[in-house]
Amino acid sequence: MQSISGSITGSHPVPEDRPRLRLLSSIDGGLILSAFLLAAIGLATVHSASSEMPVDYFPRQAGWVAVGLVLMVISMSIDYHVLLDLSVVLYVLGLASLVGVLLFGVAHGGAANWLKIGAFQFQPSEFAKIATGLFLARYLAGLNLRVLELRHIVIGAAIVLLPMVLVAVEPDMGGAAMYAPLMMGMLLVAGIRVRLLVTAAVIGLVLVTGIWTFGMKGYQRQRVLTFLAPETDPLGAGYQVRQSKIAVGSGELLGKGYMQGTQSQLRFLPARHTDFILSVLAEEWGFLGVAGVLGLYALYITSATRIAIRARDRAGILLVVGLISITCFHVLYNSAMVVGFLPITGIPLPFLSYGGSFTMINFISVGIILGVDIRRYVNR
Amino acid sequence: MQVVREHRDDLVRRVRVMTAVVTSVIVAIATGFWFTQLVQGDYYRELAENNRLRKLPIKAPRGLIFDRKGRLLVENVPSYNLMIDRSRATNLEHSLWFAAGVLGRPVAELQQILQKYRAVPAFKPVLLAESLSLSEVARFGVEGLDYPEFEVEVQHQRLYRHREQTAHLLGYLGEPSLDEIEKSKGGYQPGDMIGKKGIEQTYDPSLRGKDGERVVVVDSRGQLLREYKSVPAVPGQNLTLSIDLDLQQEAARWLDGPEKVGAVVAMDPRNGEILALVSAPAFNPNLFAKRLQQADWQALIEDPNHPLQNRAIQNTYSPGSTFKIVMETAGITDHEFDPHTSVLCTGAKSFYGRPFRCWKKGGHGTVDGHLALKLSCDVYFYTLGQKMGIEKIARYSRLFGFGALTGIDIEGEKKGNVPDPEWSQKVRKQPWYPGETISVSIGQGPVLVTPLQMARMTAMVANGGYKVVPHLVKDAKVPPPEHEPLDAEALRVVRGGMWAVVNEGGGTAYGSARLPGVEIAGKTGTVQVIAQAQRTEEHNLPFKYRDHAWFTSFAPADNPELVITVFAEHGGGGSKVAAPIAQAIYAKYFGIDNGKSPGP
Repeated sequence: MQSISGSITGSHPVPEDRPRLRLLSSIDGGLILSAFLLAAIGLATVHSASSEMPVDYFPRQAGWVAVGLVLMVISMSIDYHVLLDLSVVLYVLGLASLVGVLLFGVAHGGAANWLKIGAFQFQPSEFAKIATGLFLARYLAGLNLRVLELRHIVIGAAIVLLPMVLVAVEPDMGGAAMYAPLMMGMLLVAGIRVRLLVTAAVIGLVLVTGIWTFGMKGYQRQRVLTFLAPETDPLGAGYQVRQSKIAVGSGELLGKGYMQGTQSQLRFLPARHTDFILSVLAEEWGFLGVAGVLGLYALYITSATRIAIRARDRAGILLVVGLISITCFHVLYNSAMVVGFLPITGIPLPFLSYGGSFTMINFISVGIILGVDIRRYVNR
Repeated sequence: MQVVREHRDDLVRRVRVMTAVVTSVIVAIATGFWFTQLVQGDYYRELAENNRLRKLPIKAPRGLIFDRKGRLLVENVPSYNLMIDRSRATNLEHSLWFAAGVLGRPVAELQQILQKYRAVPAFKPVLLAESLSLSEVARFGVEGLDYPEFEVEVQHQRLYRHREQTAHLLGYLGEPSLDEIEKSKGGYQPGDMIGKKGIEQTYDPSLRGKDGERVVVVDSRGQLLREYKSVPAVPGQNLTLSIDLDLQQEAARWLDGPEKVGAVVAMDPRNGEILALVSAPAFNPNLFAKRLQQADWQALIEDPNHPLQNRAIQNTYSPGSTFKIVMETAGITDHEFDPHTSVLCTGAKSFYGRPFRCWKKGGHGTVDGHLALKLSCDVYFYTLGQKMGIEKIARYSRLFGFGALTGIDIEGEKKGNVPDPEWSQKVRKQPWYPGETISVSIGQGPVLVTPLQMARMTAMVANGGYKVVPHLVKDAKVPPPEHEPLDAEALRVVRGGMWAVVNEGGGTAYGSARLPGVEIAGKTGTVQVIAQAQRTEEHNLPFKYRDHAWFTSFAPADNPELVITVFAEHGGGGSKVAAPIAQAIYAKYFGIDNGKSPGP
């Protein structure tokens, strides 16, 4: 894409010196500060949430964060153009690992979406998501159009739908749903005509009806129904929503205090170190705590979009947009789910929820975004 | 340098729109939290306080343990604990005064206990007192309306009926360590009681059963309204041991008292079933059933005789003269000596330029295979040992199971040591000296065995070379015993020699182990703790310098059905101290009254 025209000659000092000096000084403080603070809050909350569990997840999560920081630095130091050049390979590898899961997957409560290599287990769908984002960014950036043609949209959508379907048949609906914001965010920013959007909405409606009728299992439908009327079955499937709302509501303004939340400490809350970590936080730190955390997410998102806006090229913009679309969706969906606005599904909260692959992917995402930012001056 | 002008302004505009949309959604969600937490906060706080579902664990009763004749060794007895839910006390000080009055304890003591729980959330009930009497339980029940903060919790406690007598055998319970909780993958929860030693540990999975759970709906005062759902507990399975309580108790009685340190193993040589396994000194396992008091624990840890150690399997000792059983079987099987090979014992013999003395100063005269065992002649075995060499001695020792675990079904077993030149280089970093072979020939030097290994070796002599696997649970699934290549004639000569030890005049245990009515065959062993030169009369020596005593045996001599091995640490001579203990256990087993008792 970029032609490096003979600027490097033997007699001149290496021109990369100046931009490289700028690299470190130009790291976006807002992005890194919000990510670090959120991770720290997450560690404290994971510790509290697991105090009544047989295992304290705090040390493990601390380990994941440490690994994440290393991965962040690595992915920041790689020029994202190299990543984009490699995106085809990464994308194919991602698809292969998803097929691998279908064949040799290990189940951890529900869907068999883990792949085991030696003693190491991970969720390929998390990594495939990044690869898909890279590949799509490369494709859309290369088009260099003001508005996408229909065929570009179809190809772009196909790039995302392929891994998405593979995840959906695992069956991991929550994981598959996570590809939708990637596709939507990037295609919308790349440019879609209003007429097409309306058509897509109609088709989407038809698809949803079809999936509801043919594609969903009983318990998945039950989850949606429960969401629509949780009070009808307080001890059954509506239990989780209800317990979460009680936890959140009873936190009031200031919360019950760290490790003092009755809902979590008395084990009423399900999955309280992962999907419902925000309920624990809301119960123990009150509305002030929630507002603080949501504020940090807002800081994270605005910092990231600022980086997108000042990125050097189309590819940089689209890549950052793809990555933050995923993060935004996690944050919005999880927090809305916890207060009972949306049906419960396994969507964890970035930086706060316990989880190995998920934590690593979030920090890789920070790294790539920072990598786009520190290279905004190069060759300009 | 940019070659193509990229269309990026549209992208930037759309990113701005996206940011605005996302930010407003975050604000909307924050508003949702505001509504739930501030507007509806009171409502939810009340729901949380009255959260009407309580999960109550149903503890599975632990399996009982019986001896081979169906006599109960361990049972479960109810124990009542007083819990306090501080969040429900209207006046905590007042509550404590009330409890102190009922329990008859100073109120300051209870305050101190609560101090320890400061970090625990107030709504979590904490333990105030253990093992309440029934009248105390009644008092708290009657006054329960005025003091709803108190709750009496019923727990099942393990009661070991025979206390010290079965301590090492049965083990005890304790709370799982963090490591054990992790490894169990959800099987163990903090606060559970799991088997920590002995049978309780090995058979924990089947003894513990599976806890159930009741989910109940309660009112705001915690009173049960109705049951929502219930998963019944699966009781643990009972266990029948191969132990014979009579023999176990007889053995324990003989090893009870000050300066009684040692171990007894009684085993059926035909199948490896253990009938008695005693280690002394012992501890009272019932102390572990409650939360162990610091002082009790300290006393156990600091006792110089280490009562927590199971000497029958965890401690290794020189075998002394009992090793001559291995030597003679090996010598004849390997054709180094035949049963009639004679050696002249003049009280000492020189090897490698150094004199080695026989225990009998004047010597035994001409000694053959039979007499060598009967009289325990050292010179005979020095001579045999020199001829065989250390490699062969080591090989046969291993054939008899020395230097390896026996595979008994309780944990903590030690391997002991079978020395050879390779071991010497690897562990001691020095060459093997030929003179050491001479010492090893009479069971001194670096050869080390556990009392259990000794019993198994004796069983192999008794059963014709079958390496039975010792086990404590009747009908345990054990692999069929391997048959070791030991010469049948050699074993017959050795059994004859061991018979003579007890039943022929002049045998080393003729006076101390012979039992009218049943023919016992055995071998004594005395392990010197300090060199011969420094010795005075045995009873004048301080305890820790006294000899170790061994007696290993089987009976009836012509058709063995019981092996007994006795080890008395610093007990003195094998014949004088160890043999009478075995004799008494045989008397019990065969129902013979020999009129002896453990003595003062």
